[in-house]
Amino acid sequence: MECRKYESQFNDYLDGDLSLKEREALQFHLRKCLSCYRKWNSLQKTKEILSRLPNMDPPAHLGAVVMARLKGRRLHKSQWPFDYLPRWLQLGVGAAVLIISLTLWQVLPPSFSFRSLLPGQGNNLNISGPSGQPAAKFTSRRGGGQTTVPVMVLRVKDFSRADRELESMLRSISGSMLQEREPTRSLNSSSARLIDLKVPEQRFSHLLRELHKIGHLDQSQVELHRSANPQKQKAISLRIVVVGNGSDVEIHQLRK
Amino acid sequence: MAQQNRSFKHEEEQLLVDRCRQGDRESFAQLMRLHQKQIYNFTYRMLGNEEEAEDLTQDIFVAAFRGIRRFRGEAKFSTWLYRIALNQTRNRIKYLARRDFFARQSRRARSTEESPWENPELLADIAPTPEQWTLTKSLATQVQKCLNQMGPQARQILVLRDVQGFSYDELSEMLSLNPGTVKSRLHRARAALQKCLADKLE
Repeated sequence: MECRKYESQFNDYLDGDLSLKEREALQFHLRKCLSCYRKWNSLQKTKEILSRLPNMDPPAHLGAVVMARLKGRRLHKSQWPFDYLPRWLQLGVGAAVLIISLTLWQVLPPSFSFRSLLPGQGNNLNISGPSGQPAAKFTSRRGGGQTTVPVMVLRVKDFSRADRELESMLRSISGSMLQEREPTRSLNSSSARLIDLKVPEQRFSHLLRELHKIGHLDQSQVELHRSANPQKQKAISLRIVVVGNGSDVEIHQLRK
Repeated sequence: MAQQNRSFKHEEEQLLVDRCRQGDRESFAQLMRLHQKQIYNFTYRMLGNEEEAEDLTQDIFVAAFRGIRRFRGEAKFSTWLYRIALNQTRNRIKYLARRDFFARQSRRARSTEESPWENPELLADIAPTPEQWTLTKSLATQVQKCLNQMGPQARQILVLRDVQGFSYDELSEMLSLNPGTVKSRLHRARAALQKCLADKLE
């Protein structure tokens, strides 16, 4: 029992990590216990042999060969803008970004697009379908049955002013074609409005010109709709979504 | 005085590292001259073969040169260099083990083991008395054989601590282990080597 205790101290004794009292006790034990002394002696010799292993000289040409190998090699440039941070912090930042991304991916609706958050990107507003693919047509549930109408997105700088201009312009085109207008959602600094229209075919290009004067118009869906339905129609049904700059309203929200 | 010398050496080394980070190859050559012997001996003890050790040492310095911009001076340059050396050595041991290198080497060593008495020229060169030479040479060979038989973890810790004399703190930093783990691994490794050398130690 006593021997086992002293044996466990051999390595610390070798490394000089024992206190004076412990050292004296161990030395006393080694003087009277031959078995422990043999084990200790063997361990001590093992360490002694290792420390006396010959230190070899590297080949004389080693430096020249390495320098030749380095010729034409560049220093590894940092590809990572946070390279000056400690590695643990870089990993932490990476993990946090990953977690936030995964959380947002779970929480946000599938139709959400980060591009719409960028300023001046009104024409890139998210007009995607529920599964993420572009929805060229907007499904309206008005009037009982389901009909599909194309959507035009009008992004304006000053919402209230644009709203007034839009109203007078629509009246001037034709009182009868304005089917419905309803406020959809008010925000702190800007608003969004949704207008359902039925425009006579011959006035459609005039409407587009007028809308372009008021703000930035994304008419790609209407063009798509018209090319998909080449037969002559007396009137075109469409929906205009007017969104003020800074509005966080998304098309999928207006849809509800 | 010794402390002053150490601090001067450290400052000089830091200056070389800074220059090297700017792409100065001559500074890197100087850094290499300072550390190549230690790294070469480490790789030799880890692989037990001079040619492989030379090859690996080259790779370590090439990797160090390429990655010098990542060295931010938080640790000593030698600690950082040894981290690279440990990584490269680990990979090389895996590579060589897959190719049966260590087994072939030990077979070759058994068949070509040279008795000092068969080569008197060597005897005269190396030691004043044949007895002393026999002891050193045969033990050194046996130790290297034992090291080759041990796992890479045990081998590296024995070489770093008992052959190259690094402190527990330095080892703990190099190996990213706490000092307690370093100690217990070292004690196990010493016991394994002691067992392997048992008949030579009596």
